[in-house]
Amino acid sequence: MEQVLFRHNRPDRSVTFEEYCAEGGFDALKKALTAMTPDEVQQTVIDSGLRGRGGAGFPTGKKWSFVPRNLPGPRWLICNGDEMEPGTYKDRVLLEKNPFSLIEGVTLASYALGVRHAFIFLRRDYETAAANLQAGIDAAKKAGLLGERILGTEFSCDIDLHLSAGRYICGEETALINALEGKRPNPRQKPPFPAVKGLWGGPTVVNNVETLANVPAIIANGAAWFKGLARNPEGAGTKLFCVSGSVVNPVCIELPIGTPLREIIDQACGGLKPGKKFKACIPGGASTQFLSEAHLDVPMDFDPVVKVGSRLGSGAIIVFDEGHCLVEATLNLIKFFARESCGWCTPCREGLQFVKEILERIERGGGEERDLDLLRDHTRFLSYAFCAFAPGAMSPLDGLLANFEDEVREHITRKRCPLKG
Amino acid sequence: MISEQLKKSLQQRVETAITPREAAVDVMKELQRHYGWLTDEAVGEAGELLGLSPLQVEELATFYEKIYRRPVTGKLIQVCDSISCWSGCCDGIIEHLKKRLDVELGGSSADGKFTLVPCCCLGRCGDAPVMVIGETFYGNLTPEKVDQILEKER
Amino acid sequence: MPKLIIDDIEVEVPAGTSVLEAARSVGITIPHFCYHPALAIAAACRLCAVKMLDGPVKGIQMSCALPAQDGMVVSTTDPDALKMRKLVIEWLMINHPHDCPVCDEGGECLLQDFTIAGGHGIRRYQGKKRTHVNQYLGEGIYHEMNRCIQCYRCVRFYQEYAGGTDFGVTGCAGRVYFGRFDDGPLESPFSGNLVDICPTGVFTDKTGRFRARYWDYQYAPSICPHCSAGCNLSPQAYHREVIKIVARRNDEVNGWFICDRARFDKSDLNDPLRPRQALVDGSPVEWEAALNALATRLREFVQSHGADSLALVGSTRLSLEAGILLAELAARYKGVRLCYFIDPAEAQLSLSKVEWVPAGMAASQAELREADFIAILPCDLMEESPMIALAIRQAFVKGAKVYLVAPHLTALNLERLPFQVQVVPELADVPLGEAKRGIVVAGAGFADLKGLEAVPTGVKFVLLQPGPNSFGAALLAREYRAVPLREAIASGKVKGILALETDLPEELRQGLTFFAAADWRNNGAAEPASVFLPTSAWAETGGTWINYEGRAQRYRQAYKTGLPLRGLPARYYGSQEAEPPAHPPRVHRAVAPGGDTRSAWMLVAELIFKLTGEPAAEPYAGKWAPLKHIDPEGPGMRLPAELLAG
Repeated sequence: MEQVLFRHNRPDRSVTFEEYCAEGGFDALKKALTAMTPDEVQQTVIDSGLRGRGGAGFPTGKKWSFVPRNLPGPRWLICNGDEMEPGTYKDRVLLEKNPFSLIEGVTLASYALGVRHAFIFLRRDYETAAANLQAGIDAAKKAGLLGERILGTEFSCDIDLHLSAGRYICGEETALINALEGKRPNPRQKPPFPAVKGLWGGPTVVNNVETLANVPAIIANGAAWFKGLARNPEGAGTKLFCVSGSVVNPVCIELPIGTPLREIIDQACGGLKPGKKFKACIPGGASTQFLSEAHLDVPMDFDPVVKVGSRLGSGAIIVFDEGHCLVEATLNLIKFFARESCGWCTPCREGLQFVKEILERIERGGGEERDLDLLRDHTRFLSYAFCAFAPGAMSPLDGLLANFEDEVREHITRKRCPLKG
Repeated sequence: MISEQLKKSLQQRVETAITPREAAVDVMKELQRHYGWLTDEAVGEAGELLGLSPLQVEELATFYEKIYRRPVTGKLIQVCDSISCWSGCCDGIIEHLKKRLDVELGGSSADGKFTLVPCCCLGRCGDAPVMVIGETFYGNLTPEKVDQILEKER
Repeated sequence: MPKLIIDDIEVEVPAGTSVLEAARSVGITIPHFCYHPALAIAAACRLCAVKMLDGPVKGIQMSCALPAQDGMVVSTTDPDALKMRKLVIEWLMINHPHDCPVCDEGGECLLQDFTIAGGHGIRRYQGKKRTHVNQYLGEGIYHEMNRCIQCYRCVRFYQEYAGGTDFGVTGCAGRVYFGRFDDGPLESPFSGNLVDICPTGVFTDKTGRFRARYWDYQYAPSICPHCSAGCNLSPQAYHREVIKIVARRNDEVNGWFICDRARFDKSDLNDPLRPRQALVDGSPVEWEAALNALATRLREFVQSHGADSLALVGSTRLSLEAGILLAELAARYKGVRLCYFIDPAEAQLSLSKVEWVPAGMAASQAELREADFIAILPCDLMEESPMIALAIRQAFVKGAKVYLVAPHLTALNLERLPFQVQVVPELADVPLGEAKRGIVVAGAGFADLKGLEAVPTGVKFVLLQPGPNSFGAALLAREYRAVPLREAIASGKVKGILALETDLPEELRQGLTFFAAADWRNNGAAEPASVFLPTSAWAETGGTWINYEGRAQRYRQAYKTGLPLRGLPARYYGSQEAEPPAHPPRVHRAVAPGGDTRSAWMLVAELIFKLTGEPAAEPYAGKWAPLKHIDPEGPGMRLPAELLAG
C-alpha cells in the first residue's frame, strides 16, 4: 500500500534530515520554486482534490483561492497543530516520525499564497513533536530551504513554532488566530473570514498538519496520482487513522482514504479485544456521531460517512464494546466539551451544562421520559451557537439518540444504568 | 523574583515577537516553569515584560488549561479523563491515584511530592489510559503499574 | 439602501444596518442582551434569534450580527425563533439567582423583562446554581457576580470603549468571571457606566442601593453641571433626595455615557446643610416676606446710594433664563452694575473663545469621535472634562492621530489619558494640514488664542469653558454690556450686591453696606446676607445652559425640592421628641418641609413685579426668541449665527 505521509518513517525514531532528502525530500519544493508559478502550485492542489484533514474536510486549494491576490500588507499561513480532539493523535505521530514533510508543505503553501511568515501552532503537550519540528526547521534553514532567498530564488519564508498552553477551542481557526495574537482565544465573528481578515487583520490561511504534510507529495507526483491513491472513486489521497478503545492493537496508520471502517478495525487493529463484542464507534474524534454495527462497511471518506449520519472528522476512531454504557460515554464527551467551552456564547456555555445535568441524571437512574425531548431540543438548538464547537459537541448525543435510543430508554424505564449492577 | 538571565531572555522573546502580546503565552509558561505555577508575583512580572496590566495577564492565564494559578507542589500528575481513556477505565486509575496519594483532584499530597489534576485528552489515545508526571508520559496504566510509577517518581 | 420585509413590514435601511436595528427602526424590538449600539457586535448571548424565511440566508439567524440585505424576509415571531429565544432565557436562568426582590436592578432589569416577556417560568434544570465570590470595586459600584449572564457588555465597554485595563474577563467555559485582578476601586473614571450598561444586576450603584425602585423615582431629562461639556443625564430622586444619576443618550453630545463625577457626585444636591430657609437679618421668615424685604431694601439702597452703587451678580452656573431676567431687572435701574463673571480675565477669555471660533467650527463630542487628527493643547483633560477624553479615545481607536502639545509635561497626565498621544512642543508641529476632520482641543485655562491663528481652515475647535453655562454668560455679558464684578468693585462705587447663584469670594463682600443672596448651594452666602432666598437647584427646576460648543440644552425639573424624607427632623412630624415616630408626617402642609424655594429666574421675575408693578417680560423674546422651543429630549440647539455674532 502506497504511503505518502508515513513513507519516510523509521520504526523506532524520527527520520533524519539527510535521510529525508535522500528519499526525495524537498524535491517538490525545488520543483515548485524553479519550474512552477505560485498559481500553478495552487492549481495542482485544487486539482488533487485534497480536503482539509483537521475535521471539516474543506477543499484545501479552494480555501487558498479565497485569499485576495492583490491586497497590500502581509499575509499569513498558520498550520493548525492544536490537536486536542479526544481520540485524535495522528498529527503527533506524524510529527514525531517526520517533521520535514510538514516543513516542506508549509513552505510550498507559503509560496503558493505569497506568505513571508508562517506559523505552526502546536498544542501544549506535544513537546517531543515540537522539539523535532524545531530541529527540522533549523536544519532546513541551514540548508537554505527556509529563510531568506530559498534555493537562491526570490522567495523567502520563515516558519515560527508557537506552543499553546492548552485549550481545545484554540483549534477553531479564528480562536487560534486570537491565541496567536496573544488575545483570549474566543472565536471571532465570521464574516470577515480569515482568508480576507485574519491574523493581525491580514489575509490568513489556516490548514491542519496532515493537510499541509500532503502537499509535497502532491506537487512531486501530480494531482492525478494523488487522486488515484483513494479506495473510493470520489476520494483523493490517503488518510491517517488513529484508533483507540476496545481493539487489540490501537494504531495510527496511513491507509487509502475510503478504506472501509470494518477493515480498519478488523485488519489494521486486529479486531476487538479478546472476549469483547463491538457495540459502537466514533469515526472521527469526539465531535462526531456514534456509528453502530450496521455502519461498519462505510468507506472512510468525507461524503460516505456523512451519508450514514456521522463525519470523517479527524479520522480518530474510538471503539466501544458491549461492556461500555453509551450514555456514560456521551456524558464523558459532554463533560469534556462543557469544560472546554470558551464561555463566549450562551448555548455552548449553559446548554452544555444543561445536557450534562440531564445525562448525569439519566445515568444515575433519575431520568424522565421528557428528558429525551429536552435532549433533542439541545441537539437542534445548540447548532445556533456562535461557532462550530457546540454543534460538534452535540454530535455524539445526536448519534446516541439516532442509533442507541433504546439504551437511553432502558436507563429511564429501569431507573438505573443497565450495565451497572 | 526571577533571575536577570531569565528576565533578559524573556525580554528578548518579547522584542522579537511581532507584537508583545504574541509572546504572552511563552512568557507565562517560562515563568511557570520557574515558579512551578504562575504566582501572583509571576503575573506581575509577566505584565511588566509584556506591557500589560496584571488583570490583562490574568485574562489570558486563566483561559488556558495548563497555566496554573493555584499552587502546584512537587511533581504535577496530569491524568487524562477524556473518552479514549474513559473507555480504558481511567475512572479507576483516577480513584486509585486519589487513594494512593490521599488527595482530591487539584490537591497536593501530604509529603509535598505530587499534585494531582485531571486533564483532557493528551493525544496518546492508543496507549489509554494515560497520565503524565512532569514531562514524562505513562500509558496503558493499571493500578499496579501506577504504584510502580509513583514509587519511581517519588 | 437594502430593502427587506420584517414581520410583513417593508423596511428600507442604510447599507450596513443590522436586521435587529432595521426592525427597531419600525418599532419592533427584538430581545437582546449583548447587543449595545455603542459597542462592537459580540453575537454572544444568542437571544436576538429571528427566522429568515426567504432571501440570501435562511433559517435561524442572530439579527444583531446579520447585515440587512435586499430580498430578506424576516420573521421575529416564527415558532422556531421563539423557541430559540425561550431556550436562551432558560439557559441563562439555570444560573441566574432568583433574587429579584432583593436586587437593586429589579424593575429596571433587561433579563427580568425578557424572562417574563418570553414566558419562562418553570425550572427544568435540576442541578445547582453556579456561584462566584464578589469583589470590592470601590465606593461607586457594588459587584454581585452570581447574577452575571456573560453578555460581555461590561468588559467591552470598560476595555474597548473606555480604555481601562484593570477590569476584564477571566476564566473560561462556565467559570468566566468579570472583575479585577484583586479587590480594589475601579480605576477608570468612566466605571460608573457599568451600572447602566449591565443588562442585569451585576453592577449596581453603591451610592444609591436599596433606596427605591425604578417606578418610585421622579426623574427628568437634565444636563450635567460639573463642566462645560454639557453631557446629558437624568437625576433620579425619591422623597426629595437624589438617589442615582444615570446617563441619558444624546448622540451629538455624550452618546450613551457619562463620567463618574457626573454620576456619583450628588453631594451638592443632597447636602444636608443646603440653605432651605429664607432669612432676613439671619431670622427665618416666609419666602414671600423675604422677597418683600429684598424689594424694600433694594429700593431703599438705590434711593440712598444711587443705582451705580448696586451690583446685580449672576454666574456661569446660573440658567440662561435667569440671566436674561437679571438683565431686565438691571435695565430698570439706570447705571446699575450687571455682572455675570467675577474675574475680568475669565470674562474676557470666555467671550473671546465664543467669538474666536467661527460659526459652525466648534466641534461637538460626536464630531470628536469621528475626527482623524486631534491636537490637544496643554490641559489635564481627565481632570477637567473626562468625557472629552473619552470622545477622543473613540477617534483614536478608529485610527485618528492624536497629538498633545506640551513643552513641559508630567508623565502622570499622559498615563491617565485613555489613548496614546504623540507629544510635540508646538501646535505648529502637528500636521493639521493633512487632516480631513481635524480638531484642536483646549482646556478652559487655555488663553493663547493668537496661537491658534495658524490653524488651517477647515479644522474645528473644542475650546472648553469653566462652567456649565460660561458660554451663555459670555453672550449675556456682551449683549447687556455687563462688567466683571471685580472691575465694578475696583471703581470704588459698589456698595451693595445682590448675588444670584454665585460663589462670591469672601473678600468681595468686605465694606459693603448691602448684601443679599439667593442660592441653593451651601457656599456660605446665607449667613452674611441681610436677605437670603433659597433657590431650587438645577435638578429641581427647568432651565437652559449653553455648553462649550454653543449648544443650548434645556433641562427640566426632575423632582420637587425639599428636605429629604430620610432623616427629616422631628419637628416636621408634629412631635418634639428627639426621635421621629416611625410613620409618615401627619402635619398637613402645602409645601414639603424645606421646599419653599423658587427657581432663580422666577425669583428675579417676582422681584421685577414687586419693584415695578409690571410683570417681567418673556425671556425668550427678541434676540433670544429662537431658543424658546428646545426639546429637552432632543440633541439641543447649536446657536444660530445671529446669536453668536456680536
